[in-house]
Amino acid sequence: MTENGSSSRKKMLMTILLVVIVLIGFGVWFTWFKFFRVVPEPEWQAKNGHSAGDMRFMYGSVGAENGAGMPYWIAYVLPRVFPDLLPGREGKPPGSGGYAALGANWEQGEELPIGFTKKTIGFVRVANNCAACHTARIRTRPDQNPRFVPTGPNHTFNLQAYFRFVELCAKDPRFNSGRLMEEINQSADLSWVDQLIYRFILIPATRRQILALEGRFDWVFQHGDYWPEWGRGRDDAMNLTKYFLTGSKMDDTLGPTDMPSIWNLRKYDDNIPLHRLNFAGDSYDANSVIIDSALGLIRTAPPSNAAFLNEVGWLHQYLGGYPPPKYRDFYPANTPGAIDDVKAARGRMVFVANCAQCHENAKVTGTVVPRAGVFMPNQPPLNTDVQRILSWNREAAIKANSAVSHFGIYRHGLVEENPYGYVAAFLDGIWLRAPYLHNGSVGSLREMLKPAAQRTPHFWRGFDVYDPADAGFVSTPEQAKRLGVDWDDVLQVATPYDVRLRSCGNGGHEYGVTLSDADKDALIEYLKTL
Amino acid sequence: MDRWRTRFWILLAVIVAVPLAFAVYAVVRFVPDYAVTYRSMDEQFKYGSTGGERASGFPYWVWKAMPVVFKDYLPKNGLPGYESFGMVYETDANGRKMDLPVGVMHRRDLGIDRVFVNCAVCHHSTVRFSPTEKPQLVLGMPAARFNLGAFEMFLVSIAADERFSANVIIPEIERQAGGLGPIDKYVVYPLAISIMQSRLLMLRDRFLPMHPETWGPGRVDTFNSAKALFNFPFHAMQEKEKVGVADFPSIWNQEQRQGMQLHWDGNNCRVEERNKSAAFGTGTTPATIDLGEIDRVERWLNTLRPPLSWPRDRVGWFDPAKAAKGKPLYDEYCSNCHGRSGTDFTSDCMSEAQRQAAIRACEMQAMDVPYGPCVGKVTRLESVGTDPYRLDSYTYDLASNQGLLYANVLYNDGAAVPTSFSGGGARGHSERFIHFRKTFGYANMPLDGIWLRAPYLHNGSVPTLRDLLEPPENRPKQFYRGYDVIDQVKVGFISNVATSDDALFQTHDPKTGQPIPGNDNSGHLWGTTLPPDAKDAIVEYLKTF
Repeated sequence: MTENGSSSRKKMLMTILLVVIVLIGFGVWFTWFKFFRVVPEPEWQAKNGHSAGDMRFMYGSVGAENGAGMPYWIAYVLPRVFPDLLPGREGKPPGSGGYAALGANWEQGEELPIGFTKKTIGFVRVANNCAACHTARIRTRPDQNPRFVPTGPNHTFNLQAYFRFVELCAKDPRFNSGRLMEEINQSADLSWVDQLIYRFILIPATRRQILALEGRFDWVFQHGDYWPEWGRGRDDAMNLTKYFLTGSKMDDTLGPTDMPSIWNLRKYDDNIPLHRLNFAGDSYDANSVIIDSALGLIRTAPPSNAAFLNEVGWLHQYLGGYPPPKYRDFYPANTPGAIDDVKAARGRMVFVANCAQCHENAKVTGTVVPRAGVFMPNQPPLNTDVQRILSWNREAAIKANSAVSHFGIYRHGLVEENPYGYVAAFLDGIWLRAPYLHNGSVGSLREMLKPAAQRTPHFWRGFDVYDPADAGFVSTPEQAKRLGVDWDDVLQVATPYDVRLRSCGNGGHEYGVTLSDADKDALIEYLKTL
Repeated sequence: MDRWRTRFWILLAVIVAVPLAFAVYAVVRFVPDYAVTYRSMDEQFKYGSTGGERASGFPYWVWKAMPVVFKDYLPKNGLPGYESFGMVYETDANGRKMDLPVGVMHRRDLGIDRVFVNCAVCHHSTVRFSPTEKPQLVLGMPAARFNLGAFEMFLVSIAADERFSANVIIPEIERQAGGLGPIDKYVVYPLAISIMQSRLLMLRDRFLPMHPETWGPGRVDTFNSAKALFNFPFHAMQEKEKVGVADFPSIWNQEQRQGMQLHWDGNNCRVEERNKSAAFGTGTTPATIDLGEIDRVERWLNTLRPPLSWPRDRVGWFDPAKAAKGKPLYDEYCSNCHGRSGTDFTSDCMSEAQRQAAIRACEMQAMDVPYGPCVGKVTRLESVGTDPYRLDSYTYDLASNQGLLYANVLYNDGAAVPTSFSGGGARGHSERFIHFRKTFGYANMPLDGIWLRAPYLHNGSVPTLRDLLEPPENRPKQFYRGYDVIDQVKVGFISNVATSDDALFQTHDPKTGQPIPGNDNSGHLWGTTLPPDAKDAIVEYLKTF
């Protein structure tokens, strides 16, 4: 072996090494670029009466794209490939309208419904944020487009149908690269490389990822009288926590409740030690609720706790100061449905005499009132439906708190006690929080003021035309007729609600039910001013 | 050794050269993708490509063979081939019939010539002033003769026919083409025919529920077709949504319409977006659309005037004195909603400055459209009182879904667009649809060339202008559509000549007396209480538009 030969071999080795390094480098860069590169979201800008903060709340990422994000083009075509799995009339498939069929709030001209986020992490991903369940939709007359109120309860969104839709799509044999790519190529002009990535990586991986959650989704497929549908505007919140956050085994409980309003959260932060959040008072403070709910969206540990807590901080601040919507902004003076101030003033007296001890009382409002047993002299016990209370317990709270601590996130957290009652609600913006009671079993404020036996036992949830006379959304044929709403429009989208079914009871909270009709009218008028 | 060398070379040739030859052939044959384009804008509009053939184009020879093989599926009106659907063939300089009818575009793509309908197929027609004269081709007017519904029925019916197979179609192609090469005969065309069949059968499921056979000439169900694009299941829709049939519109003077509410129900305020939405009908998808060519036609339509005027100099066709009497009446009763004249679309309530403000409001993506008795705005249904079905066929859910169309498509004109999809690096103009809005009435339209736009109202339920000025109970309850001879007295087309079996239009069910969904001729009562000579005068004045 000559000097020369060895040096040329060295050269060759160096060249090969260089080529290998370049190839590996390219591979690393390519993998990073196509799968991990994070592109910041655009600067949020005020639009159509929404502030920049509103836009961020409605369309901004809370970090769910990493663990729970779906590749953009799959999300894009799912409703086109599987329209037969979307809910339609009476909440049953098939449904027409893409994601709108789920009752998602979709502003005209926007790419995705409110609460659906779009973020590039390597590839564009679609996920959800808080606004999916916490933006209210309202029309004041049927021949009008809806208005959307950020932080309001989403009474039209059928979350159960959404869960079912995603899971059923993944289980369906049509969920394959051939069929999905065929549909994607109708709308996208993907490069050759991106087509390959979708075909061989993203579509199969997405399917696997959804199917991996199969066990945890079982309970959303329960149905029948013992397992009534959640229907529009409700979710089984504590079971969601049990099965998704702590991975507990499915039990027999069911406690669907209304999506709550989350405006004006600062009211909980005034250091009154007995203030509790969630309908049954399961959580200590707003910060904990935001963290736990956002973790529910993210589904796994956040990729960066600092970024996550930063977002939580922003949400807390935004929600803390968000003013409850004013009825007068929707029904201005001298228009049909406007507030009669004289009547409302009289209603204030009725309120003070009959409601204020629970709903405007620094010691009681925002704290848990026992469901059974007398807590006010000369008044019946609260006695509203018990199932929501039964769906949560001390062990579940301990498990959930420890799961969150395991992520390295520290918060005041869930109350480690068995729940025993319901929180006496703050009534800010109560007019837009229909239907009423924790399980949304009472269609309007007027219905609330009737004895339970006279409340409508069967009505329809999730239609967006408001009835100013009863203070609630149109949920019965009588209301529809009075407001010129085509009842068929209601049946097309709303979901039926039967108070006789488990967890759906409309009993209890029989306060003010013996007032005179004039007093009830006045009281309702006053409640609209809150 | 030499023998081995020879063998080596032969082997090499077999291993390398033969596949190479195939590859070269395949590249030369299947890669080229170009449309027949025209320098003249008239020609480009009539025969130019939108890009839709790439996704939807029929193989040219199959197009030629279809009306021969499936002659029995053609409408029976005595006209041959595609003319039986009301399509129009021009004649070339030598007096020979052109190869393709107006509104059919032609592209070489995937190794074969492919054809499909373009914008012109629904936006041109012919006009005669007497049955004996030669029809004049008028570009941009509603395709009053073209029976799109019958054409769709033809396509989806033949796809389900057992004769739709290479065995039957290819011999006819060979007869017309004088033979096909072996690759075409045994590979390309059989494959193309089978792909075309499966596509048509897919369309069959999406289109048949719209009952295209009931549309008749000059009409289309635009927005249920749009729902079909999203694959909204038809049977899951509300009954009142399911009938959305309306007349083809004229498409002149688009620049002056910018900022006005477009489409019959005024659901969009941006000409370009409306155009791209309509281009779905020519088979384009965001992946295949030729934005450059669309842009070219778009700019041409901006200033295209109605190419034909009312024949004022013909004896008995125009009474200037009567028209002069009609002008003040028009100004008083019509001009606020329909503009000052056939060329000036402003009105007392819509100055040019106000229209510019409307354009800006449109660009700001206002959530609601402007309503009111003013040109370019929308008149609520309870005021206009016309048939509600077309309005109800367009839903809020459809409007919001349309926000997904053209997502992530950039038209590369260099404008910077902030979009999370482009990763910040791409430059171009976002083409995503952002202007569709659900409305609750019908739009007030300018009346340029109104005498060419019969029958009247959005659903073409009133045959002439003079009839429109009668109260609904006096308007004809049935008449024929699709004839191209002008009615010089009532203004519209002569409507008592049956051009085709399916040209009969009924506004009411003769048995029950109830309005037929989508066909009701009630509403638009303005001017109906004037004395007859005043009505005549208004009609006379409208001839000048």
